[in-house]
Amino acid sequence: MTGPEPLGDDPGPDTSDLRADMRAAATALAGRPGPAAGRTTSDLSIDEELVLHSIGWEPVELVSGTSMHSVPVGVWNWGQGEIGYASAAYARSFAGAVQRLHQECTHAGGHGVVGVHVEWAVERHHVDVTLVGTAVRPVGATGVGADPVFVSDLSGRDFALLHTSGWAPLGLAAGASFVYAPRRSVGATMKQSGQNVELTNFTEAMYAAREAAMERMQTAALDLGGTGVVEVKVTEGPMEFARHAVGFTAYGTVVRLRADEHRHLGARMVLPLDDAVVGFDAAALRGS
Amino acid sequence: MTVPAESSGDLPEAAVRRFAEGAFTSGLTVPDFAACLQMGLEPVGFTQGYCVMQWQWYGMSPMGGGFGYQWGGVRGYSETFNCPHGFVSQEHRSWGQNYEQSWLEDAWTSGFTTAYDRMLDEAEAAGAHGIVGVVDTSAPLADMGVVEFRVQGTAVRVIDGPPPLDGRPWSTYLAGQRLAKLVEAGFAPVSIAATVASVGVWANCVTQYQTEGSASMYRTGNPGEEIIQTVKAQTVARRLATERIRSQLGPDSLHGASLSTTRRELGEGDSAVECILRGNRVRRFKDFDPMPAPRPTVRLL
Repeated sequence: MTGPEPLGDDPGPDTSDLRADMRAAATALAGRPGPAAGRTTSDLSIDEELVLHSIGWEPVELVSGTSMHSVPVGVWNWGQGEIGYASAAYARSFAGAVQRLHQECTHAGGHGVVGVHVEWAVERHHVDVTLVGTAVRPVGATGVGADPVFVSDLSGRDFALLHTSGWAPLGLAAGASFVYAPRRSVGATMKQSGQNVELTNFTEAMYAAREAAMERMQTAALDLGGTGVVEVKVTEGPMEFARHAVGFTAYGTVVRLRADEHRHLGARMVLPLDDAVVGFDAAALRGS
Repeated sequence: MTVPAESSGDLPEAAVRRFAEGAFTSGLTVPDFAACLQMGLEPVGFTQGYCVMQWQWYGMSPMGGGFGYQWGGVRGYSETFNCPHGFVSQEHRSWGQNYEQSWLEDAWTSGFTTAYDRMLDEAEAAGAHGIVGVVDTSAPLADMGVVEFRVQGTAVRVIDGPPPLDGRPWSTYLAGQRLAKLVEAGFAPVSIAATVASVGVWANCVTQYQTEGSASMYRTGNPGEEIIQTVKAQTVARRLATERIRSQLGPDSLHGASLSTTRRELGEGDSAVECILRGNRVRRFKDFDPMPAPRPTVRLL
């Protein structure tokens, strides 16, 4: 294993002339625009864009994908075991949205999508998933990449960090399971009445949902050829519209080691001496 | 500061006086203010533009003459979804339609653009070169169906820099260090860009049953299928918004965009999808300097 190696020479004091840059920008705006060259749309911040450039990537196009699947009537009512329709609707909606994001990314000439915002909702009669992100590619690349298109909800910064340490994102893996908490028998209900006891029907239902959902996410990660999932987000608990059904959802970005071995970043410790700087914030204007 | 007489236009007289009084005003935080000075931008004044619009979700129908869905006046995207069942009854929605709600888009565009232009008028009258740290909001005012569009920002002048093309100030949502980094990276801020796309869903029987979970025998072939009509409406709304903003960009790029979509369920499978896309229109004026790979650090505090 190689030891920590610095990622670049210490750039030393900043020598750029910001005022000259600003004047050059103003001069560009004082004239007519030139021909279109490399027009892009992106929802990345300037920091993300700069850090992407530093590892040789650039944004191409803002892309999105959405899918919505129906959950038939009555499936949330009393029953036993998993609510298969709901779990399937979640899986299909996620897969459908990812597929459309892939298509838009490929169409735009991107090699992958970073910073994907994941919006999803499980309603009584339908499950909705929407993904919005920025398609990116190695600087100047044309056509499709050698590797399959990747999708990641990691920020541009996290993508660069992964890249630098020898890892690559492959795609989003998601898993969900919705399970009925079975009715207690009359005897059990009476015995537990007025007692502070564990309600094993709920504990077991939650366990069942968790295990099934995590397993689905893991399987999805393996199917993509990944070695792990990072930044997993989970939700758990009873459904708002059906309190006797519990749900567990999980999704995250699948990653794989691209280099021969993990590369240490060799981070340097710094002790900031300045106060925290308040960035520009639209809310600041309104005093909140 | 002197106000150029020819550019005062229809600016409120009070605003003309305010800008002529000498002291500058600014909505910038102190760090943003400091960053502006560092990059050679001097604040001129806090500029604002407002426009109050009447807001009706349902337009006047040119066909029926009363309030209702504006079938006759629909412009742009529309798509019909027929009932696959071959069944006619009063309760059965034998057809459905997705339609672009162009009257809403027009109202939004008109409100936003008017407010934005008024802000630019103020900045131009004050002799500014650009407006930084723009904030745009809209909020209900007074009665139902009355919306105020507000666009505010700090007008600045580039020290020793040339005035913008045709004297119309450039604008950006960014300020402070973010703007400094943008300029350093070789992008000139051209203007803020914002657009809206609105698509209504008048559900057919299948969409109605899929969304409302009706137990009708005429629901769909396979339960748990994709709700095609609504997905189509969402996809089209986003596509319209992105295409529209691209048509505004000319040769420039859109940076730091935000694409937000809201879907309001109106019952029985009907819904309205509204998609707002905003961002900074930027123009490359120099090549990206190859930046050294950043050095990772760990903060001790």
